[in-house]
Amino acid sequence: MRTLRTLLIGTLLRAKHLSRSPFEVALALVIPLVQATLAVYLFRAGDEPHRLLEAAVGAGLMGVWASVLTGSGGAIQHQRFEGTLEIIMLTPRHPVLVVLPLTAATAVTGCYALVATLLWGRIVYGIPIDLAHPLAFGAATLACIAGLGMFGLLLASTFVLMRNANALANPLDYPIWLLSGMLVPISVLPAWTAPIAAVLPTTWGARALREATVGGPVWPSIGICLALGTVCLVLGAVLLKSFERRARAAATLALA
Amino acid sequence: MRTLRLMGIGGALAYRALFNWTTPAMYTGTLLAGPTFQLLFFAYLGRQLQVADDRFFIVGNAVLAASTACVFGGTMAVANERRYGTLGHVLLSPRSRTVVFWGRVLPYAGNGLLIAAFTLLMGVLLLGLRIPVTALPGLALALAAGSLACGFFGLALGALGLRFRDVWVVSNVSAALLLLLTGVNVPRDGLPDWMITVGQLLPITHAAEAARLLAAGRGLEAAAPALGRELLVGAGYAVLAALLLKVFEAESRRRASLETL
Repeated sequence: MRTLRTLLIGTLLRAKHLSRSPFEVALALVIPLVQATLAVYLFRAGDEPHRLLEAAVGAGLMGVWASVLTGSGGAIQHQRFEGTLEIIMLTPRHPVLVVLPLTAATAVTGCYALVATLLWGRIVYGIPIDLAHPLAFGAATLACIAGLGMFGLLLASTFVLMRNANALANPLDYPIWLLSGMLVPISVLPAWTAPIAAVLPTTWGARALREATVGGPVWPSIGICLALGTVCLVLGAVLLKSFERRARAAATLALA
Repeated sequence: MRTLRLMGIGGALAYRALFNWTTPAMYTGTLLAGPTFQLLFFAYLGRQLQVADDRFFIVGNAVLAASTACVFGGTMAVANERRYGTLGHVLLSPRSRTVVFWGRVLPYAGNGLLIAAFTLLMGVLLLGLRIPVTALPGLALALAAGSLACGFFGLALGALGLRFRDVWVVSNVSAALLLLLTGVNVPRDGLPDWMITVGQLLPITHAAEAARLLAAGRGLEAAAPALGRELLVGAGYAVLAALLLKVFEAESRRRASLETL
C-alpha cells in the first residue's frame, strides 16, 4: 500500500511539475497536432482515407512515446541540473520507486497527445471516431501508459551514468516509431528488424491500440505489452541500483 | 576585410562557445543519427502508402536534415549569449551587431550542409538511391542554399530570444512545422492552398524542389529558378533577423530586460 502511494504521489507530483513548464506544455500541445496533420495528409495522398482513424491513433501514440522519451532522457538530467538527484537517491526507498514516477508521469501527460490527435482528426478533418472495441481501447491506452512508463524507466536507468543523456534520447524517436509499427506496418520493414520489434513494449502497445481501433484480438497484445513492460521494470530496477552504486563510488552522481 | 574577419572568426568562436551540440556524442546522436532515422521513417512510410518514390523522401529529408542544426543553431547564437550572461558584452561591441550575428550563421550553415550531405549519403547507401554524378555540384549548391536560408531563419527566431524568455518553444514548434509545410514529406499538391503559400515563404521548400529536380537528372537550368527563390527567402530572413535584432535590442535596453531569464 505504501509502495502504491509512493508511486501515485510521485507520479502526480511530477505531472504537476511538468505542467508548470511553459516549454513542456507548449510542445505537448502543438507537436502532436502537427504530427497528426502530417499523418492525415500523407494517408490522404496515399489514397487510403479509410485508414485515417488508424493514422490519428498512430500519430497520438507517437506523441506519447516522444513525451516518454524526452521525459526519461530528462528525468535524471533535470534532477542533476536542479541539484536534487543526490537528495532523491538518498531516500530510504528503492531508487526505482523514486524514478519510476518520473517516467510514468510523462506517459500520463503524453496521453493528451492521443486524445488531442483523435479530437483534432474529428473536428478539423471530420474523421469519425468509430472504434471497433471502445472498452478495449481504454484498456489498451492504460496498458500503453504502464508499458511505456516502465520502458522509460529502463532508459532512464541507463542515463544515470551519462552526462549527456539527450545524445542517446534525441535520435530514439523515429527508430521506435518505425520499429513499433505506429504508422508504418512492421511487415514493410527488413526481416532483421522483426526480432527487435517483438521485444519492444511499444510494438505491442501500438498493436493493441490498432486492434482496438480497427478490430482484432486486443487482449493478447495488451498482455504482452504489460509483460514486456514488467521485464523492463525489473531490468531497469537492477540497472538503476547497480549504476547508482557505481555513480556513488565514482562520486559522479551529481556531475552534469 | 575587417568585416569579413569579424564574420569569419567571430562566427567560428561563437559556434564553438554557444552551440551545445558540438560534443561528439551529442553531434552524432542528434545531428547525424536523428536525421538518418527520420529519413528511413518517411521513406518506409512513403513506400507503404505509395505516395511517392524513394527519391522524393530521401532527397527531401536530406535537405531538411540541415534544419535541426541551422534552426536551433541560429537560436542558440542569440539565446545562449543571454543564458550564459554574455549578451551585454556582445551588444556593447563597437562593431555592427548585424555583421556580428550574420557571421554567426555561416558556421551553422556549413554544419547544416555537412549534415545534409551525410544524410543524403545514408539514403544512397541504405536505400539504394542512384544520383547522376553530374548532378552532384548542383545538389551541393541546393543543399548549401537550403542550409544558409535555414540558418538565417534560425537567427530570426533567435532574435525573438531578446524579447521572449522561452524562445526554445518557438524554435521547436518551427522545426516541427518545417516538416509539414515545406512539402518535404507530403507532396505539396496534396496540401491546402494556405499551407502551400506559407511553405513558399519558408526555407527548405524551394531547395528541396531544386534538389529533387537535380537528383532526377534535370540539370542546373531546370533547378535554377527554385534555387534563386531559396536564396531570396534566405536573404529575406537575413534582413528580418537584422531588423528584429535591432528593434528588440533597443527595446531590451529601454526596459532593462536584456539579461532577464
